[in-house]
Amino acid sequence: MLKVRNLSKVFDKVQAVDEVSFEVNPGEIAVLLGPNGAGKSTTIKSIAGLLRFKGQILINNTDNKSVEAKRAFGYIPETPALYENLTVWEHLEFIARAYSLRDWEETANRLLTRFEMDDKKDKLGKELSKGMQQKVSICCALLIQPKMIMFDEPMIGLDPKAIKELKSVFLELKQAGCAVLISTHIIDSIEEVWDKVLIMNKGRIVLNLTRDELDNKGESLERIFLEVTDSKGEGEA
Amino acid sequence: MKALLFLIRRNLLNGIKSAFKKPLVLIGYIFILLFIIAFIVASFAMPSGEIRTLPPALFRGIMMLVFTVLYYTSLKLGIEKGSSYFRMSDVNMAFTAPLRPNQILLYGFIKQLGGTLFFILLAFFQIPNLKNNFAFEPHGVIVLLLAVVAYTMAYPLIGMLIYSWTSVSKERKRLAKRIFDGAALAVVLIFLIDLSQTRDFVKSMSHVFDHPVAHYFPIIGWTGSIASAAVAEPDTAFLVGAAGMAVVIFGLSLLIYRMKLDYYEDVLEATEYVEAALKAKREGRNMTFGQKTRKNIRGGLSGKGARALFAKNMMEIRKTSMFLFLDRMSVMVILSSILFKLIMPSEAGLNAFSMFMVLAFSLYMLLLMQAQGRWSVEVEKPYIFLIPASSYEKLFYASLSEHVKNLFDGALLFTLSGIFFGSQIPTVLACILSYVFFGAVFLYAEVLTRRMFGRVHSKGLMIFIKMIFSFLLVVPGIIGSVIAVVATDSEFYMIGAMGAWAFVLAVTLFMFSAGIFNNIESSS
Repeated sequence: MLKVRNLSKVFDKVQAVDEVSFEVNPGEIAVLLGPNGAGKSTTIKSIAGLLRFKGQILINNTDNKSVEAKRAFGYIPETPALYENLTVWEHLEFIARAYSLRDWEETANRLLTRFEMDDKKDKLGKELSKGMQQKVSICCALLIQPKMIMFDEPMIGLDPKAIKELKSVFLELKQAGCAVLISTHIIDSIEEVWDKVLIMNKGRIVLNLTRDELDNKGESLERIFLEVTDSKGEGEA
Repeated sequence: MKALLFLIRRNLLNGIKSAFKKPLVLIGYIFILLFIIAFIVASFAMPSGEIRTLPPALFRGIMMLVFTVLYYTSLKLGIEKGSSYFRMSDVNMAFTAPLRPNQILLYGFIKQLGGTLFFILLAFFQIPNLKNNFAFEPHGVIVLLLAVVAYTMAYPLIGMLIYSWTSVSKERKRLAKRIFDGAALAVVLIFLIDLSQTRDFVKSMSHVFDHPVAHYFPIIGWTGSIASAAVAEPDTAFLVGAAGMAVVIFGLSLLIYRMKLDYYEDVLEATEYVEAALKAKREGRNMTFGQKTRKNIRGGLSGKGARALFAKNMMEIRKTSMFLFLDRMSVMVILSSILFKLIMPSEAGLNAFSMFMVLAFSLYMLLLMQAQGRWSVEVEKPYIFLIPASSYEKLFYASLSEHVKNLFDGALLFTLSGIFFGSQIPTVLACILSYVFFGAVFLYAEVLTRRMFGRVHSKGLMIFIKMIFSFLLVVPGIIGSVIAVVATDSEFYMIGAMGAWAFVLAVTLFMFSAGIFNNIESSS
């Protein structure tokens, strides 16, 4: 579903992402782990079509910047940014219009209820707390029923109930055959859900491991993470 | 495109609706609206050239100079940060949606037209002043606004093209900056050479900026030529300017719309900058936003309790100043006040009050700038609320640095002006003290406004309330100074009367606002 080949990105002579390649298949939850400044957000933003890059990114076998690819993926940014003067419901309506969705209202209502936002439908974007904005952001991405979805540090600012709900959303997306890519530096937050882990450090993927492979090694994800990010003295977190 | 039009429509309607939810804010907006309507009506209805009729060449010169400065500053910033019509909400939601980048650019452009309204309003505020000094033609106001519209539509398009060319490499960015700075330096040099020959600021301005080359200079000259037709029948320069700008705006829009665009990355950086600037504005930090901060300054913090606030503020001032306490704000107040006096033509009777005119204009600037100063930033943070000291002490020490800064700026401005206009030392001293006292009046008026109204969500509305409040307070001082000048015919007593009133006012306002920390709420 998502194919990233030799992705490189340079900012002002700083190599933020260096020859990164990986795939996320339908029904698979991949986690992009790494210390601060490892290149996770740059990778996610490149996939979302927000940055120019070297290499190739295919979503559903089409170029990630094409309209067809955009129809297929959802994106939850690290920092939620809503339209200040749009209500929660109008955000969902905008997304439904932009993605040409039909009969979206019921799904929208269900999502809002699930994230305890059903009583905030008429609140403006500027009237919401950061956590609530994050919930709206998540609802907008889920509304399009994506084939591939990217979460950039999704747990930050969420209350425990929403975190629990989000974790079950990850699993439901997986069961529905959606390819899920989660970027985070908090290992505990994704411990129970991941199928594949991609550990980044200094712009490179230093480890690409499936859950089975880790189980065979008999080591914890945290230990492996610290090992591969610290062993070369590259840990920044 | 329907989805994007939905966005624009809802944003606009909800913005209006939300104003109705807060009566105080609504009253403020109605007041501002009436004020603007009054200005618009006055702009069109008032007779022109009643007070005096200055030569059209000077008007053309001023217009050319204004648009040269506007284009230079906006496009230079465009090279640095790109121009963005967008907000982060657009980046996160619209850019990732299955919509063509060209459509999104068109949406941004439509939004920018809304921003044009702001520039038009600003222009309206200047029209009565211009009409008083120049003989406007019946179509004058319309062509002036046309020039403003042409500028606000053209510069983001040009900015975006320049940015997409310069963002490819640092060398290109450096080259573009050099071209811009070189051109600016050339204009300044030409002006200075002419000034050395004429020794007349106004004459030189007409010579340099009212030159035929300036009239037909692409974009800047064209925009200036449109505006220049306000005081004359439309001539060839106007027609060339209007046609040129129409071609530039439509041509660039079409070019950008048809191009295979990949501008999201450029816009992303620019939008982050815009977002940070807006945040700074909301927090009242727009005057200090983007300022370079020096880390290695001599001396550390001193004082205990509330005094530590003073020491901290002084340290912040020194860190962001170019020399001693001289920062961007000082330079703007000093240069604009002296320029104001130079541009305003000398008239019999007014020449004797040069220092008063500089003082009046500098106070106007101070009022505008201080509204976005250090004090308003202080109350956005929790520390001042937490310090274990009395409200009186905290207010005194938190504001003391502003008075020191105003003393420094005032001393610099009025010593320079005094030398320039050959004024007496007592007059210079009276100006310096008046400047400091008025600075205190504006500051404590803001504190009192805050104490009375609490935190008004809109920074613009807050500034407006404060300006009206300050103006009403200053009126008795103006009356006093008029009486003083009629009685003595002396600029010193005129300024002295104003200064004395400001001192009384500052002390009174301080007494009334001193208890502020006992009842206001922290916003953080």
